[in-house]
Amino acid sequence: MRLPRLLRTTPFRLTLLFLALFAASAGAFLGYIYVVTAGEATRRTDREIAEETRALSAVYRSAGRGGLVRELAARTAGDRPFVYLLSDPRGERLAGSIGRSPVGAAGEGDIWIDFSILQRDTGGAVPHPARGLQARLAGGEALFVGADVSEDDAYVLKIVGALWGAGALVVVLGLIGGVLVSRNVSRSVAGLSGVVVAVRNGDLAARAPVRGSGDEFDELAEGLNDMLERLERSMQGHQHAGDAIAHDLRSPLTRMRAQLEAAYLDVAAGRGDPAQALSQAIEDADGVLRTFGAVLSIARLQAAGAAPDPELFDPAALAADVAELYAPLCEDKGVAFDAELAQDIAVRGDREFLAQALANILDNAVKYTPAGGAIRLRVRRRSSGEVEFSVTDTGPGVPEPDRERVVERFVRLENSRNAPGAGLGLSLVAAIAQAHGGRLELDEGPGRVGAHGPGLRVAVVLPRGV
Amino acid sequence: MRILVVEDDRDAADAMARGLSEAGHVCVCAADGEAGLTEARGGGFDVLIVDRMLPRLDGVELVQTLRREGDATPTLFLSALGEIHDRVAGLKAGGDDYLVKPYAFAELIARVEALSRRRETGSVQTLLRVGDLEMDLIGRTVHRQGRAIDLQPREFQLLEYMMRHAGHSVTRTMLLEKVWAYHFDPQTNVIDVHVSRLRAKIDKGFDRPMLQTVRGAGYRLDA
Repeated sequence: MRLPRLLRTTPFRLTLLFLALFAASAGAFLGYIYVVTAGEATRRTDREIAEETRALSAVYRSAGRGGLVRELAARTAGDRPFVYLLSDPRGERLAGSIGRSPVGAAGEGDIWIDFSILQRDTGGAVPHPARGLQARLAGGEALFVGADVSEDDAYVLKIVGALWGAGALVVVLGLIGGVLVSRNVSRSVAGLSGVVVAVRNGDLAARAPVRGSGDEFDELAEGLNDMLERLERSMQGHQHAGDAIAHDLRSPLTRMRAQLEAAYLDVAAGRGDPAQALSQAIEDADGVLRTFGAVLSIARLQAAGAAPDPELFDPAALAADVAELYAPLCEDKGVAFDAELAQDIAVRGDREFLAQALANILDNAVKYTPAGGAIRLRVRRRSSGEVEFSVTDTGPGVPEPDRERVVERFVRLENSRNAPGAGLGLSLVAAIAQAHGGRLELDEGPGRVGAHGPGLRVAVVLPRGV
Repeated sequence: MRILVVEDDRDAADAMARGLSEAGHVCVCAADGEAGLTEARGGGFDVLIVDRMLPRLDGVELVQTLRREGDATPTLFLSALGEIHDRVAGLKAGGDDYLVKPYAFAELIARVEALSRRRETGSVQTLLRVGDLEMDLIGRTVHRQGRAIDLQPREFQLLEYMMRHAGHSVTRTMLLEKVWAYHFDPQTNVIDVHVSRLRAKIDKGFDRPMLQTVRGAGYRLDA
């Protein structure tokens, strides 16, 4: 049988456990109070009885049996809260307010006893609890002094009642508190587990409620939301990659198929030279493979989320190498090229991937910068401590609204549709920058100069190294 | 040359064997790692072409086993795994070169021939000579017909590589990998520009051009 939901919750069980512990300790505490207070009442009565007995013994010693009998008569008639009985050594009653000793005639020395005496109340004679002491006097007489303790008992009962009441209050308040805490915690947990269930059912957009109290549940919710955010982005990336691959590979593959089919028909009909069509098909296949390779690299970088082979190196040396590779190309195209490389900077990362990122940016810069333009490669440390690789060109640039889009996979702007390249360059650069904990920035270049410009400034910004 | 091809994809192996035969080489094919190891132990091969992922015995293990047994036959790994650490793992296992699938045929042949050359020129040389072109590796000087040619450091490395592989085609990718140590594929013709600069320096003003462009493959330095 399943317990009701509330009783199954962890907080409620914890509450019960703490309640039990609390009840036990409260019980011990109340028990101590009982022992101390109730015990004290009994002890006080005993003290008074003993005191009275001592006083009467003193009378016996000074005035003898006759003196004590007289004294007892006086005290019995007075307003003393005691009952008395003096018996001779054989147990015969000599004086006192009761007829027979509850202890009996036998017994030597002091004997304490709990007994009951009849008290005349409104409703007739009622037995009251009493306590007494029988002492043996020097002449062998037995002196019994007793006292009604019903008032003491009533006091103790009152204390016990109060203690029970307090105990019950503790339990009830504890239960109420436990239920409230459990419900509060359960609600928070229910919010979180609702998200988990939603995500399990495929809704990656579900987010846990953050109440703004900054407690552990908020922290957990924020952590969960952050994780879902990344997961969703990654999933979207994969989905987008799938769509993009399908889109970008389908057209060259379709073209390739058509060319191969045409070549096949030509050969089958014994006319024409298929070499042209075949070499075009090979070129298309290479293009498809290049695109595929780039997509794969991006996907792997994004999946790994980290530079695969990090080492510490000098970014100026890396940039100088890449600059050396591209400088002749710029010169041949009639584009001025210069590199401004700050020394004494260290970067941790994957050298090969960063070189590829720079090469991709330079590829684009050379591709889009017309003759007479200029390209500048720069490595510097920003005041924030970040390391920046930047390439500025004087090409047509990318209009502000398009800048974010050109970084997305496969996007090439309409007017550059005819330039070679799969349009994956900047996406790969962005993926490389992100894998290094950095980012890709696109800005306007140096502005419009004559027929040139406004140009583009592409920067890979890596976090402060060591 | 006698070449052992260890490749489990029958079609790919057949195409490779045909291409290598047409280039004048003798090809033996093995379809799994164990068969490949048996063939290789038989000896007599100039180059091994080994796919990295093979049934029965992994390509990396195959080459490791051969190296342990003292067999140093130059080996080219073929792999669909193109990441840097895959390549490093392949070379660490004893491979001499690493070619990522898919590849152009010209690339495969150029690399296989480069590997076989490597064994012949294993000894330390201080002077390279191809036809009337001379390179002093210690003095870092180049002369053609006694005339000094002034080269930039990278041009010097480029020419050294071409001279070490004189008479054989070298591809743009090979040059980028071996001279620049980059393993990515630039979208633009950066390598062509460097080669044509080198060509201008070593061929200009001489009656016979040495640095040839091989259509569909790359370049070749002829004596």
